[in-house]
Amino acid sequence: MRTWDWSYTGHVLPDLLRGLLVTLEATALGSVLAFALGLVWALAFRAPTRWVRWPVGAVVEFVRNTPLLVQLFFLFYVLPTTGLTFSPLTTGVIGLGLHYSTYTAEVYRAGIDGVPPGQWEAATALSLPRRRTWTAVILPQAIRRVVPALGNYVIAMFKDTPMLAAITVLDMLKQAEEAGAESFRYTEPITVVGLLFVLIAYPTSLLMRALERRLGN
Amino acid sequence: MSYQQHTHRATTPGLTRRGLLGALGLTALATGCSRVSTADATDGGNLLERLREQGTVRLGIAGEIPFAYIDRDGRLTGEAPTVAKAIFTRLGVPHTQPVPIDFGSLIPGLRSNQFDVIAAGMFINPTRCAQVLFSDPDYQVQEALIVPRGNPKKLRTYADIARTGASMGVATGGIEIQYAKSYGVPSGKIAIYNDQLSGLEGIEAGRMDCFAGTSLTLRNLLATGSHPKVEMTEPFIPVVGGKKQYGAGGYGFRPGETRLRDAFNSQLHRLRDSGELLRLIRPFGFTETESTTLTARELCG
Repeated sequence: MRTWDWSYTGHVLPDLLRGLLVTLEATALGSVLAFALGLVWALAFRAPTRWVRWPVGAVVEFVRNTPLLVQLFFLFYVLPTTGLTFSPLTTGVIGLGLHYSTYTAEVYRAGIDGVPPGQWEAATALSLPRRRTWTAVILPQAIRRVVPALGNYVIAMFKDTPMLAAITVLDMLKQAEEAGAESFRYTEPITVVGLLFVLIAYPTSLLMRALERRLGN
Repeated sequence: MSYQQHTHRATTPGLTRRGLLGALGLTALATGCSRVSTADATDGGNLLERLREQGTVRLGIAGEIPFAYIDRDGRLTGEAPTVAKAIFTRLGVPHTQPVPIDFGSLIPGLRSNQFDVIAAGMFINPTRCAQVLFSDPDYQVQEALIVPRGNPKKLRTYADIARTGASMGVATGGIEIQYAKSYGVPSGKIAIYNDQLSGLEGIEAGRMDCFAGTSLTLRNLLATGSHPKVEMTEPFIPVVGGKKQYGAGGYGFRPGETRLRDAFNSQLHRLRDSGELLRLIRPFGFTETESTTLTARELCG
């Protein structure tokens, strides 16, 4: 029995690369959403009133402690019954972004907590307005500290995109499965998908390490 | 913290990398070996003798009602396992063991020796015949669509879907995706669901205009509960390249296991001719209209 067929590999490659594009698109948009929402959660954790802190905390804990797959199913099959229908890819981006925002929120929190108290005191001493304290003093220092950690979540999200197949998004892995289901040969497509994941995730993690070194003083 | 990470990185990278490569090599080697040992049998194979010795045959199933599935009590049931069990008992193999797997993995699973027979009501077609040795079919069905109630887009066949530009859903690995493409439905309009039930959910959530499947599967799917928002269309036989596509299903064996297949076939014919076959599969929604005298040879083209 042949173990590897190069011409078949060439035949399925275009479909896999199309899937890779979808995978990258979902990761990129999901990351943007996760970064933005995570910051919102992190700031809400520090709100002066518990009427904001507690509900936000409850939502974040709920999302973080339920599986991504269940959330995707909910967004895809249940949400439309309330009249709110998004395309499969949009649903996937919302699912990934929302899920990972609950993790990035903790990353931001750590970053903000890591800003030395002296910085807060200096801002107060200079009687900087609250808004300016955040945008010019605290967040620039906090975010600089957490860029590598955020990067790791991007890589984790990248590796979670095959879950979107459950809501009919034709990502890289689903394309491979379909190619396999049609030809009954899974070895080539699945191997290529694995290699593509490594080819993208490993350099990205190297980049994150370099960033960590540069930003870490 | 940062200091510790640096020292760690400085002392061990060569070792770790070499270890990793070694592990990868071993995995590749192991995979290579298992593939060689499951190579196609020659001179008809001796699987039947081995199964008689073990007393148990492993059936690959795909969790599809009514063909083969695990019921509420956790028992293997469905049309195909019931018939397979009857035949294997007559062949001297009294026990069956289900191996549930998704439909698209049935053929690779059979070929990589995860089970002995595909008993999932799999359709016999030329592409599959190139990979699997089929028994003669024991049933024949037509295709149908699930559409929103009232069928707003007036969809009846794949041709209607292609003409109106409607969106459709299929279950992963099923034959429907190939039918649809051959009728010119663009792949961008075909959503692939993990199973029939999620397809039904997709229709009820308004995610597509229709969901395609066999008349039998869809009828049983709708019988799972109350589904006021959807309905099933009149069954039809798809035509591809001027040839009618009969949805006739049988049992799949590893290539080369012709002796087991032939023994299975002769018992199957005996069951069919005595009327026992229909009695066995009637509880799963099969009737005289689903019975067939087609052969695997005709279907493999």
